[in-house]
Amino acid sequence: MGEECEELAFETIELSRQPGEREEIVQLLAKCGLTMEEGVDTFVVCRRGRRLLACAGLEANIVKCVATDPLCRGESISLKVVSEVVHLAYERGHAHLFLYTRPNNIAFFAGCGFYPIVEVPGLVTVMENTPIGIRAYCNRLKAKRHDGERIGAIVMNANPFTHGHEYLVHQALAHCDWLHVFVVAEDVSFFSYADRYALVSAGIGHLPRLTLHHGSPYMVSRATFSSYFFKDKGVVGDCCTAVDLLIFREFIAPALGITHRFVGTEPFCPTTRKYNADMKYWLQADLSGAPPVAVVEIPRVETAGTPISASEVRRLLKAGSMEAIDRLVPPATLDLLTRKYAPAPAADPILMRAV
Amino acid sequence: MTKKLRRSMLFLPGANAAMLSTAFVFRPDSIMFDLEDAVSLREKDTARLLVFHTLRLPMYSDIEKVVRINPLSTPFGQADLEAAVRGGADVIRLPKTDCAEDVHELEAAVEAIERSCGRSVGSTQLMAAIESASGVVNAVAIAKASPRLIGIALAGFDYVMDMQTERGDGTELFYARCAVLHAARAAGIDAFDVVYGNVNDDEGFLKEVDLIKRLGFNGKSLINPRQIELLHRAYAPTEEDVDHAHRVIAAAEDAERRGLGVIALNGKMIDAPVIAHAERVLQRAAASGVSV
Amino acid sequence: MNIAKESIAGTLESNDLLVKVSPSLDASLEVHVISEVMYQFGAQIEATVHDELDRLGVKSGVVIIEDKGALDCTIRARVEAAILRSSGAEIDWSRLS
Repeated sequence: MGEECEELAFETIELSRQPGEREEIVQLLAKCGLTMEEGVDTFVVCRRGRRLLACAGLEANIVKCVATDPLCRGESISLKVVSEVVHLAYERGHAHLFLYTRPNNIAFFAGCGFYPIVEVPGLVTVMENTPIGIRAYCNRLKAKRHDGERIGAIVMNANPFTHGHEYLVHQALAHCDWLHVFVVAEDVSFFSYADRYALVSAGIGHLPRLTLHHGSPYMVSRATFSSYFFKDKGVVGDCCTAVDLLIFREFIAPALGITHRFVGTEPFCPTTRKYNADMKYWLQADLSGAPPVAVVEIPRVETAGTPISASEVRRLLKAGSMEAIDRLVPPATLDLLTRKYAPAPAADPILMRAV
Repeated sequence: MTKKLRRSMLFLPGANAAMLSTAFVFRPDSIMFDLEDAVSLREKDTARLLVFHTLRLPMYSDIEKVVRINPLSTPFGQADLEAAVRGGADVIRLPKTDCAEDVHELEAAVEAIERSCGRSVGSTQLMAAIESASGVVNAVAIAKASPRLIGIALAGFDYVMDMQTERGDGTELFYARCAVLHAARAAGIDAFDVVYGNVNDDEGFLKEVDLIKRLGFNGKSLINPRQIELLHRAYAPTEEDVDHAHRVIAAAEDAERRGLGVIALNGKMIDAPVIAHAERVLQRAAASGVSV
Repeated sequence: MNIAKESIAGTLESNDLLVKVSPSLDASLEVHVISEVMYQFGAQIEATVHDELDRLGVKSGVVIIEDKGALDCTIRARVEAAILRSSGAEIDWSRLS
């Protein structure tokens, strides 16, 4: 007759270090019609005795794979396990959390402190763990609003900043009254965010009728578009681009009054090409309460018959061909690459490829 | 002066806001806010603050409030004590008491806080929980260690582990129960029995209550509010007991009125312990609502 | 006391509340209250939170309260816990007493 025998016990599991725990979690997920998602290593599990009752996965700032044994619902175990995973995320330095769920689960996660941002109708809803997140972000954007008939936007990773980005910005500026340029803030690319932003700022920050913005979790981030950063695996679901693009259309564009979004044509990367194609649908089609945003595709500038791309720059850098890079990038980029990134370090191939 | 009746001492996990805000409705004789084993390491800080504020709730003003702190040797003990003494706890429960020095150390720490917060020195009472073989062996010294002590309690979970056994039919606790009880009685303070862990087994619970009542324990620590009523009913005297107690008291009062040195009932002499027992029976009867 | 980093305290179970605090981007003090009893008690909850922040000397930060019908004393305790966790400071009991 142990005194603690009735109590729920919560435990954190790292699958990479405790592979033996995987099967039990997979079975629980299956009972709830879910599958183990790629990239989730950390799980909070709830047990009574040895029996697994509930689990919640965490991948950086994204809560995934939340499941409770159907026999144990109504004991607020689900709420407790989500609460545990939120506390764990805080301990790991992630206070702003996101989760993807089927629209029919919104009410449950609302009870766990998550608030819906956008829904891809019938497919998926993305939620965040703050009632003021996207709203406060849009309010900050509104302070940088400029009136005009044609307000443009470009979202670039600039990994690194090239003549191609420069060309795209100048073309876009010629087409609109004001241009907002965002640099993707997620720090998982080959070049650090600080370096990427600094080079963009050096290249175009001085231009009139242009506002340079820091990126945010609401824009081409792990949270809005997680598969983008793992595109070498070829995992690019429709939902992923839809979430990112709907947030842009429903929140970011209205906050700044953006009417046009500019992108370069994509000759090489299939993921980026698909993103551009999806953009035309999710930003322009008659499917949202928010006004459409016109997508303008600008052909890439070429040098010696080849379109300039950041991925080509990274390839040349890896090969140590600094002279060849000279033709593709502004002096500031070349300078930084020479000082800090050449000769090429052995980098994670997955992260190398992000545009 | 009638001694405080302590049959039921209800444990409340200090981090559980819902239980802290509602448990007064269960009317146990004492409520024990737990900052120790029922609170996870991560929640120690917030549980302490919750208990600090809950102690001041008007709804708890007429219930004896006990706070179980973490041992003073842990990083939490001193802060727990600050919260409990400043918050107005009636009694501090010290876990894992192994010897009289543990009580002396607590007493000194309590006095320092009383002085610094302006609470009258000596107003915070103490109880010591005995959870080890050493504690049981030192029970008498512990029970007599401080005038602030209102009682000692046996805590079964750690004790049986220390004894290299496990909870069973009560045989495993027999010596400890007797030792703690004797120490308490010799020191003139209360004795409390262990919690009964299986909240769904009323029969087992009542069997244990019957045993500890017959041994002479004042009461028991409880973890489920449902057990309060069961315990109080089991501790309620029978109508016969009550009737007899009334007659003892009446005889004593009669003797006093007539200035007699010797009190007699049905031709037998009655002495002070019998009268004290009768008073306790009537107190329990009143608390249990037994008709008198 | 300062809100130095993002911190959280409490739960979303009934009679409790979840408090999230984070440093302010512009040195202002913002309090956001969401409550199941917003209509009846929203203003009172907000006043309690502000009073508690005053006591603790918190001048700036973002404080989000998600209330599930908590008592006033629970609100105070959870706010104190979140601020203490965020500031990393030792508690000053005389300030609370």
